[in-house]
Amino acid sequence: MDNLELLSDYSSFLREKKEEGKKIIGFISHDNIPEELFDAAGFIPLRLLFAGNDEFMDASHDYLPPSTCAFAQSCIGLFSLKPNQYEFLDLIDYFIVSNHCVSDICASEIISKRFDIPRLNFYIPYTNNENSIKYFKLELLELKKQLEEINGKEIKDENLKESIKKYNSFKRKLLDFSFLNISGSEKLKILQKAILYGPFFLPELESFFEQRSDNEIQTSFNSKEVLLTGGSIFINDPLIDLVEEGGGNITFFDSWIGNNYYSQIIANDILDSIKNPYDILVHRFKNNNFGDHSVPNFLENKILQLEKIYQDHLKKTGRKLGIINHIIKFCDHISLLSSHLKNRLQEKGIQVLNLERDYSRAIRGQLSTRIEAFLEMI
Amino acid sequence: MSLIADEIVRFSSVLRISYNLLTGRDYLKRKKFREKKKLISIALPFSDLVYGFPNLVPTFPIRMHTFEMHKYLTYLGSASRIFGWKNVSNFLGIIKNLNIGDVNKIIDEIINDVIDAVNNKYNEMYELGIENGVPTDFCYGIKSLYGMHVSKGKNVEANLNYTIRCSAWNKYLESLKTIENPAKQIWIDIPPRNIGNALELLTENLYDGIRELEKISGNNYDRNILRNHFQVANEIRNYYKTILYDISTLGFYPCNPATFSEILVILNNSFQDYNSNAIRYRDNMASLVKEMKERIRNKIGMDVSKMPRILITPMFGGWEPKSHEIIYELGGRAFYADWDILLLLEEIPITKISDPVEAYAHYLMNATKNGIGCDNDTLTDSYLRLARNLRADGLVFIQVFGCHSISNCYAMLKDKLRRELEIPSIALNFNRIGENIEQVKTRLGAFMEMFN
Repeated sequence: MDNLELLSDYSSFLREKKEEGKKIIGFISHDNIPEELFDAAGFIPLRLLFAGNDEFMDASHDYLPPSTCAFAQSCIGLFSLKPNQYEFLDLIDYFIVSNHCVSDICASEIISKRFDIPRLNFYIPYTNNENSIKYFKLELLELKKQLEEINGKEIKDENLKESIKKYNSFKRKLLDFSFLNISGSEKLKILQKAILYGPFFLPELESFFEQRSDNEIQTSFNSKEVLLTGGSIFINDPLIDLVEEGGGNITFFDSWIGNNYYSQIIANDILDSIKNPYDILVHRFKNNNFGDHSVPNFLENKILQLEKIYQDHLKKTGRKLGIINHIIKFCDHISLLSSHLKNRLQEKGIQVLNLERDYSRAIRGQLSTRIEAFLEMI
Repeated sequence: MSLIADEIVRFSSVLRISYNLLTGRDYLKRKKFREKKKLISIALPFSDLVYGFPNLVPTFPIRMHTFEMHKYLTYLGSASRIFGWKNVSNFLGIIKNLNIGDVNKIIDEIINDVIDAVNNKYNEMYELGIENGVPTDFCYGIKSLYGMHVSKGKNVEANLNYTIRCSAWNKYLESLKTIENPAKQIWIDIPPRNIGNALELLTENLYDGIRELEKISGNNYDRNILRNHFQVANEIRNYYKTILYDISTLGFYPCNPATFSEILVILNNSFQDYNSNAIRYRDNMASLVKEMKERIRNKIGMDVSKMPRILITPMFGGWEPKSHEIIYELGGRAFYADWDILLLLEEIPITKISDPVEAYAHYLMNATKNGIGCDNDTLTDSYLRLARNLRADGLVFIQVFGCHSISNCYAMLKDKLRRELEIPSIALNFNRIGENIEQVKTRLGAFMEMFN
């Protein structure tokens, strides 16, 4: 299924939901947005997981200077141009203004203001200590209040707990899926679709597992194995093709579309022992050590995490993993520490490519060359 | 000849503040090695908490550098210790009026050197930041601040880090840990919004910061010391606001408008750490206001009533320092008021709130909620408020390359300025000091024609 089909199906899915009376909440995807709360309130979360292109980026320049994160530019461009396959964006009832980074705030605010979508605020503290965790809970309760005002009814704790469990099971299944021995592009396609649809995708995911066990396909790849960290590969981004054409295979996605999402599973004992569902979400925020939002330990945590994955992989397969640190141009979080991340990992003998890019077509040749050269070195 | 030198020599307070800015290294060395005080690095106007500990010295890191200071300014500094700055300043003014060629040249050079020395150092730090791994994508301010820490960070005991809405800023603070032998990091998280008990949480965060400062200081926190400092800090703010609101809005200036802008630049820079000595700084501010008022009373200065008032902002993340001179040459008067836009010149409410830490939390939360804002709607309203209150006729917005926070609000701001204030605005791109002067001249030339 190509992306046109995916977007068309998704559009039909959202229309069906709207006909059922559901409201849709859009947001720039990040790992601290409590989609379970939207689900419990009866809303459909719509994560903006769509890659940009020259036209989208150009269209955003009426609102933002070109030295803005290329993904944020593209999100605005999507709303500004709204090509046919994205007309489902018209179905969005509310838009979350959040602060994963400052470009998230700016782009979300512009989308809400310029395209007349009522906004809901949800701000995340930058540190992850006792007080910021308390603050995170304040934001959750504030968001709850906003959702309840829209709905005119209370969000019951048991409903939220059910939603948390539902998303938890879904993430567990995705985690299992992530270990399958399939090509990176096939894996990515399913991850993108899964995270776009959320738990609605669970039956399809389960049937994928069933089909695989029926056929017991054990594919062996001759490609160089790669871990992708940093920015996600969003829907319609040809980057994965460039990696595979260059002789690589991404076996681990350490990004929003990938491990950042499905690693945030809440253990069963926590689910059972914490009665207040908001405290469960707080617990998850507290344990989100590998997301790029928080300071001051992001770099150290990330190095530890990547080194562990690398060593585990080496022990298990006897093969080295190359790391591509995917940097969307003008990304505050990934870009600023990228040279330090690379140097520190290389000191440990781990090969890293800092791959910076925007979404322009002109840059593809250069990306291919850099990827190929890197893969040759592994 | 500099437009500015002619005038600045007549303000002994400005000479003092400039001298303190440039001789920071000697002053800080004395504090550190002779008086055994400990230096705490700060940036943006967040030095106040450090003043709660008399053996800790807040410093904006560029001040730890040696500046290429004109030898005569060094002599003047020495002379001032004997004769006092005012007499030195008067003496310079007399010499200037006598129009003795060589001496005049020296005075011009001295003042030009102050400005050029600071700007050259900023550019040097910018290059150092890039050489040490800050990607070119980031703003001038972050690159140069990182460079300052690479070169002089080893001299400080700690960095006092406040989180703000700018994610690049917060990540930059984290990146200071990557510098060899990094200083201790003290983090104070400012909650993004004032919801629920966020103010209480901020107060607790400030107390946590104080506990860390206590460990470095070796002394216990004394609320009276902090309260006394806040009184001084509030006086500084009042003097600053007097210059902005009472003097800058007059039709008669105590000097030419380019000099006036230059004074505002020096204040903007020095306000961040009060030159590491808040009481001395307060006294200099008091003299400055007095000197300005005296000159206006004696009709010494310049009639500027027909000159359009141009707000240049933001400049704290980097801007072309020639801008105000260019505007002056084009018939306008430029002013800078970044800290007031962000509500950092508001008083710390110690008269209303007895606990000084809690009062400081209110001050910070007010700046976050109503000044800096957690979104661009609030931030652009802050620009509007200031442009309205200071009766700006036009606004020059500095769009700093790589600034993803403030520069991003220009489209919204332009729209609001046109609709609500009906004043023109222009955006100037900025990457590095001195890089783009011709373009700045052309753009400002076109902009200023609107006022003819």
